[in-house]
Amino acid sequence: MGTKQIYEEWELVTALRSKDDQAFGYLYDHYSGALYSVVKQVVGDTEISNDVLQETFVNIWRKIELYDETKGRLFTWMLNIARNAAIDKTRSKGFQQSSKLQPISETDGTYATVKPGIDDYGLKRLLFKLKEEHRLLIDLSYYQGYTHEQISKALAIPLGTVKTRIRTALSQLRTLLQ
Amino acid sequence: MNVKEYIQSGVVESYVLGVATEAERQEFEQLCATNPEIVEARNAFERSLEVQLMQDAIQPPAFLKEKIQLLIGSAGSETYQPEIIEEAPVRRMNVWKLVAAACFIALLGVGYWAYTSNEKYNDAVARQSSIEKELQQKNTQLAALEQDAGMMQKPGIKMAALKGTPNAPQALTTVFWDSTSKDVYLLVNNLPQAASDKQYQLWALLDGKPIDLGMLELQQNRLLVKMKNVQNAQAFAITLEPKGGSPAPTMTAMYVSGEL
Repeated sequence: MGTKQIYEEWELVTALRSKDDQAFGYLYDHYSGALYSVVKQVVGDTEISNDVLQETFVNIWRKIELYDETKGRLFTWMLNIARNAAIDKTRSKGFQQSSKLQPISETDGTYATVKPGIDDYGLKRLLFKLKEEHRLLIDLSYYQGYTHEQISKALAIPLGTVKTRIRTALSQLRTLLQ
Repeated sequence: MNVKEYIQSGVVESYVLGVATEAERQEFEQLCATNPEIVEARNAFERSLEVQLMQDAIQPPAFLKEKIQLLIGSAGSETYQPEIIEEAPVRRMNVWKLVAAACFIALLGVGYWAYTSNEKYNDAVARQSSIEKELQQKNTQLAALEQDAGMMQKPGIKMAALKGTPNAPQALTTVFWDSTSKDVYLLVNNLPQAASDKQYQLWALLDGKPIDLGMLELQQNRLLVKMKNVQNAQAFAITLEPKGGSPAPTMTAMYVSGEL
């Protein structure tokens, strides 16, 4: 599959909607690395990351009709598909048995999954620049997919505080990205 | 509502990263429809996020691409079907034929994939077992060679170099005699190939009398050939005898000899 052609984003979307194999090849070559990196940050394990990445691209191909360019960029849409697939995988029984992840309900005040380690690349590396309380909330909501309510209950922090902290943390993340 | 404050509140990032609540999400989408500024802020964050993540890309293993392409090869035809059914209900029969054909093609694809993967798997298994067998053989050979090498270095081993006679000036063999166990081992450095009806026979010489030490039967991948024991010897010699050996050496057919 030749992928020498360079697509503008709208061209790529149009080609994908007409089920153009070549466009898919380009999409994969261009974005698989970035999505793989995010998937690995959520699931860690390499073989599981492979499964998740595979599921992600199959879903992108199947659901391209659902992509709405007025709601955001193609990459953002794909990123959310990848992240959701990865989080779903961490919720599966097989994954929980094979990993050290603790359910959030068992955590007390000492909860801290975000430790510096081999996983600090990409967004995670930026996360370490945030304050501990912010970092924890981003990890729980972004990387582990917990809702604000779940986080509020588990950490015994008022829901309003969870919301404010997540927002504050995220606006700092934006500054860090620039 | 103050648009600037709203943009600064972190809601843009929550929305883009998919951590906004359902209510936040709906509100954000409504506001985007009427506020180009918010859309602009969203776009800017999306781009910087994309730039960052593209920089942090990690190449997935190469085989994945092919696997995914195979998967979507059949997925593509699946997603096309419902549209055709909706648009042309009158041609129901044809549609079902198409569906059946598509399923059949998908099945062929899957079948082919399963077949080739299985082939590859079988090949790999066969290759592995032949490699294992070879490794085992080599290990056995190595153990034998190590045993032979250890033998030559044992304390109490005496060595006699048997040099070629005018029959075969280039010939050379070495006898190792264990003065404790009286075992005799022969190392063939160089001996002419014996005719098919002939065989080399090793003799020990003690006080001018030859003692038969057996026929030389070369084993592959061994350094040393174990011969018959001898209580004592002053010299050794090898003669070429009719197959099975002779009771006494044929002196004219002596190939090598040497003193202990």
